[in-house]
Amino acid sequence: MSQCVVEIENLVKRYGDKVAVDHFSLNVNEGEILGLLGPNGSGKTTTINCLLSLLQYDKGTVTIFDKEMKPEAYDIKSQIGVVMQNVAVIDTLNVYENVDFFCGLYIRDKATRKQYVEEALEFTGLTEYKKYKPKKLSGGLLRRLNIACGIAHKPKLIIFDEPTVAVDPQSRNAILEGIKKMNKDGATIIYTSHYMEEVEELCSRVVIMDHGKNIANGTTSELKSSLMNRETIRVNLPNKNDEVIKGLKEINHVYKVKEDGDDLVIKCDGGDHNLVHVLSYLTDNNIPFGHVSTELPTLNDVFLEITGKELRD
Amino acid sequence: MFGRIFVYKFKEIIRNRYMVGWNFLFPIVLATVFYMGFGNLIKDDPDNFHTIEAGYVNTNQEESNFEKVLEELEEETDGNVAILSLKKYDSRQAAMDAMNSDEVFGFYVEDGDEIETIVPKNGYHATIMNQIVREYDNKKNVVETIAKDHPEKIQAAMDMVTDNITIMKEHDFGNNTSPYVQYFFALIAMSSLFSSWISTAILEGICANMTERGKRFECSPTSKLMTILAGICAAMVMQSVSNAVVVIYVQEILKISLGAPLWNIILITTLGSAVGVSSGVLIGSLIKNEKLLIVVPLCFTMTCSFFSGLMWHQIRQYIESRVPIFNRINPASLLVDCLYTRATYGKTSMYYQDIITMSCMVIGCLIISAFLLRRRKYVSL
Repeated sequence: MSQCVVEIENLVKRYGDKVAVDHFSLNVNEGEILGLLGPNGSGKTTTINCLLSLLQYDKGTVTIFDKEMKPEAYDIKSQIGVVMQNVAVIDTLNVYENVDFFCGLYIRDKATRKQYVEEALEFTGLTEYKKYKPKKLSGGLLRRLNIACGIAHKPKLIIFDEPTVAVDPQSRNAILEGIKKMNKDGATIIYTSHYMEEVEELCSRVVIMDHGKNIANGTTSELKSSLMNRETIRVNLPNKNDEVIKGLKEINHVYKVKEDGDDLVIKCDGGDHNLVHVLSYLTDNNIPFGHVSTELPTLNDVFLEITGKELRD
Repeated sequence: MFGRIFVYKFKEIIRNRYMVGWNFLFPIVLATVFYMGFGNLIKDDPDNFHTIEAGYVNTNQEESNFEKVLEELEEETDGNVAILSLKKYDSRQAAMDAMNSDEVFGFYVEDGDEIETIVPKNGYHATIMNQIVREYDNKKNVVETIAKDHPEKIQAAMDMVTDNITIMKEHDFGNNTSPYVQYFFALIAMSSLFSSWISTAILEGICANMTERGKRFECSPTSKLMTILAGICAAMVMQSVSNAVVVIYVQEILKISLGAPLWNIILITTLGSAVGVSSGVLIGSLIKNEKLLIVVPLCFTMTCSFFSGLMWHQIRQYIESRVPIFNRINPASLLVDCLYTRATYGKTSMYYQDIITMSCMVIGCLIISAFLLRRRKYVSL
């Protein structure tokens, strides 16, 4: 059984009357990529700041590597890497110096540090930009520098706080691939995001937060299997009528049919070959139809079902 | 670790165009503007001592001890200006002609035992020329006895006479007491207080409640106070060098005498840098807003500098007569007062009082800041 690297129990953080984190508990196991998913303002960053002992909290305990996390717990901090939501680099230092400066806060040996810095630059694809000042870098390269500064010291636990906000798709893919590689190399990762696609692609386990609470926790498939809706079929049907809708509802596993402009949205609660059954019905009854698509449930559907609102609201 | 952080903080400072501009270039530009505005007034100030062009006529046919004393006074000592530049004439008339044509200010005529001082008008130079004769007369017997009995000790006897004259020159007529020099002192004070801005910039990169960089720093296993100390040292070095450059520029390039040995002025301005840096640390530990961290040190510097006489040199005296406590707590006024006192009166108790007050300010600011910055967790970020 893998070791628990991070353990948060019953964490409460209030800003005056507002409860930002509400009795939140979380376990992160060694070697996993845990996704902390939630809409903006759900308490993800506050939780991370409490986890890192930057913020005072009102209640709860935070344990990392089996030790209580405190501001002066340098032995724990030396094993943690943090990639902030906003770019946190020094404008007057060049790329190499930035990575060297932040790596040097963890690694004292000069030769080791030099090696780590060069590896971090290579890993993030910044070697050819090492003499550049941050202001000369594009947004994507700047994000990569932000990552290089956070991971150069080869931490065992890396926390990514929304690292892909305002990043172009190409750089985003590069960042996600990099995170997968770091995990493969042995790092345990906590990844916060409000992008469900990223979390689905990257994370072995997902915790969904809303209003500071842990509202769902499990693997992606576990969370999706908890949904009633397992498949959504959308059919372009200009000549639809109540009889057609009634007929579609009678198909096995179809539990809901609703109109959406010229389309019909058909929701199924499980079963196999639902699309085949729907198309057979339409063909057998000589009902003309246009474009057909099918969607499997997403984490947004999970969030929608639990909270009644869209994740991106 | 300390050394590495110091080097990086120093790099951060010297590569910051705004800091270099405000802390290095601006004081030099302002000094040049001041020089263009009233540099000549300072150089021509009647309070400034200039070597006296004096004539000497010896009607006696033998060498005189008084002549030796005058020759001794021609020699410059301790880098100060020589008291006399002596020109010898064969007759009273020749000396009189030289005085009338402004070749010499005045002249001495030694006739038998009598020494006559002839000057065209009263003033500092006339007083000094008369004082030389008075001192010589007072000690003439001693000098003559020594010259007769112990000719090998005549130099010591001469020194005894000339020492008194030198002291009179330094203290009765001061070094550089021109009121306009205070503008340069106020300029140096302003330059020193500009370092408060460097301190707040350094704190920004260390405290999690100020910037993301600070957050990244506080996630690391590195002591916060040690890092702040390294940053303070880097700021001190930068500001001390900047002040030294300004002082050397004013004294050596613009040739404005600041009235005290260069090393002494630089030491005082280094203490001024410490005051600026430590007050910046205190400001940084009290303010969280990133924009205010630039605005407040600049306002603090300009306000203190204004009240220390940067724009009107008599403001300090005006405040002294009405709210003297303000001059005691305004770091720029303290620095100007310290420099002015040193330049005008030497190392008096006022000078030491200013130094002690500034040192206490540095220590006080750092202790309060350490207390405020010791906090390791924040209520909000």
